[in-house]
Amino acid sequence: MSDPTGRGIHHSQHSQSGRNYVMKRSRFIAASVAMIATTGLLLSGCSAGAADTGEKQLTFMFRGGEDEKAAYTTAIKAFEEANDVKVKIISTTADDYATKLKAAIAGKQIPDVFYIAQGDIQAYVNNGVVLDITEYVEGSDTLDLDNIWEYGVDSYRFDGSLVGEGAIYALPKDVGPFSFGYNKTMFEAAGIPLPDVDVPLTLEEFVNISKQLTKDLNGDGELDQWGTGLNVQWSLQSFAWSNGADFLNEDRTKVTVDTPEFAEALQWFADLSNVEGVTPSTAQAQTLDTYQRWMSGQIAFFPVGPWDVSTYAELDFDWDLIPYPAGKTGESATWVGSLGIAVGSTTEDPELSAKLVEYLSADVTAQQTLVDAGVQIPNLKDMADTWVADSTTKPANKQEFLDIVNDYGRALPANNTYNAEWYDELFTNIQPVLDGKQTAADYLKEAQPKMQAFLDDANAQAGIG
Amino acid sequence: MSTTALRTKPRRSRLHRREHQVALAFIAIPLIGFLLFTLYPLLFSVYASFTAWNGLAAPKFNGIDNYIKMWNDPYFAKAMWNTFFMMIGIPIGLVLSMALALGLNRKMRGTTFFRTVYYVPVISSIAAIAILWQWAYNGDFGLVNQVLDLFGIQGPNWLANKDTVKPALIIMATWKGLGYSMLLYLAALQSVPRYLYEAAALDGAGTWAQFRHITLPMVRPVTFFLVVTSIIGGSQIFIEVNIMTPTGGPEFSSATIVWYIWRQAFNNLHMGYASSMSIVLGLIIFVITVIQFRLNRRNQFSID
Repeated sequence: MSDPTGRGIHHSQHSQSGRNYVMKRSRFIAASVAMIATTGLLLSGCSAGAADTGEKQLTFMFRGGEDEKAAYTTAIKAFEEANDVKVKIISTTADDYATKLKAAIAGKQIPDVFYIAQGDIQAYVNNGVVLDITEYVEGSDTLDLDNIWEYGVDSYRFDGSLVGEGAIYALPKDVGPFSFGYNKTMFEAAGIPLPDVDVPLTLEEFVNISKQLTKDLNGDGELDQWGTGLNVQWSLQSFAWSNGADFLNEDRTKVTVDTPEFAEALQWFADLSNVEGVTPSTAQAQTLDTYQRWMSGQIAFFPVGPWDVSTYAELDFDWDLIPYPAGKTGESATWVGSLGIAVGSTTEDPELSAKLVEYLSADVTAQQTLVDAGVQIPNLKDMADTWVADSTTKPANKQEFLDIVNDYGRALPANNTYNAEWYDELFTNIQPVLDGKQTAADYLKEAQPKMQAFLDDANAQAGIG
Repeated sequence: MSTTALRTKPRRSRLHRREHQVALAFIAIPLIGFLLFTLYPLLFSVYASFTAWNGLAAPKFNGIDNYIKMWNDPYFAKAMWNTFFMMIGIPIGLVLSMALALGLNRKMRGTTFFRTVYYVPVISSIAAIAILWQWAYNGDFGLVNQVLDLFGIQGPNWLANKDTVKPALIIMATWKGLGYSMLLYLAALQSVPRYLYEAAALDGAGTWAQFRHITLPMVRPVTFFLVVTSIIGGSQIFIEVNIMTPTGGPEFSSATIVWYIWRQAFNNLHMGYASSMSIVLGLIIFVITVIQFRLNRRNQFSID
């Protein structure tokens, strides 16, 4: 074929001119209606929230699951009745929250009351997004500040340079101690004495027990039970801290991951897979795998957070909490997360907004709902005491959660800095260490300058250091 | 009639004026929408790209600092590289969907069923699909590795290995987009006049020659459309990356440019820097699209 276009072929286009007569009259009307509809939409979009019906209205923006929604509905209803005010609830999915909140802030529509991530407090205070609520919560008649975990309140204190001291900018929605659990049924079956709930295992003891419990049960030549399987991003902190290492220096201006103690902890962590072989297949530190395996009873030691309790309570085996195994210092360490509830700086009624925060953080009924749902530990100390004493619910050693909050838990390293870029950098390129292709010491030496650069940048933005 | 004659005309008819108003009203709707929701944000982000802005306080002008930072930022380069690397999936997807369309264009039983099956991923939520594939790629339990295991192949832990995470995402994206391209190709195939093939057959053209000289040129507009939209879409790949590898993958190997922009803007309080990266990304897409239109114009033909 010489002519790919096809000779002499016509593509006819049928014109449909006959249609043009229809709708002549109604065109103007149609256009006008559409016009009005559009402007209407725009206007209502702009004025949302400003509807002035004479009644006071507060907006509350949060993210969360069904349990939170249920709990807050009761707390908010109580608040509305007590204060003759309406609360407009804006709820988003967990993934969308940060984006939507930032959009609201950039659009100068800061909600009166909203969730604030623990790590955001410094930036939000520096930029005048959240309000100092110290005077309201300290002099409150609905809330006894001493009855709330110090860690929870202190996480939202900021004095202009260090988080943890100074004025209060939020109250905790919850505190989340990241504890360590073990499969009691597996220990009993193997005839291994149960670990002490008060004295942490040493790293050697931990590895030894893990080795004993890593085995092939059905004799098919493949392992089907393992000592542990931890995710580096959530468990490294504990081992680094208890080994005497830290991520930052005291005034948070220097990244200190290049110390021998830190390298030792990271190397030990990587060796669990590569040398000791007590985790499911090497190169697979994904939680997804080991989380499933833990729940099907194939893993001896695994982290447990309060948000896991409702799921783990349904498991076929018995489990309990113990302190994290401790490195050189002999002192167990782990992190406590938290989410805060803050008041937006542009609120028209700071006092009332602060009161709503108090209800959400400390209302007894709401707290009870959340605790019963097994998604968090109580914010209130006196409620926690009854909760711990309750032997009918798992875990038996609930005290461990409280000990972490009260005693040995620390904030995640990036939660006290302006942003998390420096901290994320540590984990971005860590995989070769976990795969045993690079030593921890080498890697950390490489990573420290990069992390330091990010931290310097963050501190400069925050006007510190 | 000259324009001056029009202007000096004393008064237009009522009907004319009315027509004019109607036209303006119709034009106003998309125009207002465009100005308010496209042009204004666009211009604002151009401005924001020249500022130090954390997204919380007011932006502060800082000249081309963001662009200098970008030039020296290894993660920006890596994210760009990752994004374009993943576009390898586009030609693969086109070939596969063409093949599928050819297959389903034949007269046989069950074509409707298969067309539906291939279209299901297209209408499914990307978030749901990403979670599904995350499970399928799981190193130990994943469907993908279980199937490979049947053939005695020890599959990698797809999403935790820096060499396999990009191919894993490419496979998923190709699978997801297959139905859409296939449908467009099917429509295009069915509009190719039968007699072209008959004439070609008379001229002694075999199946391959017919495909190469009739089918491919006749569906070229669709191919062009798909290439342009896939490249634009591919440059903006985000949701699946964010769900399947929320930390950007091992050694940043699955972080795409939009993922990086998003993280800088919303997690690291660098809204200004993120804006400047978006501007650069927008320009790159614009330039690529212009080049494509140029190339396409050169290849255009009509069968009049």
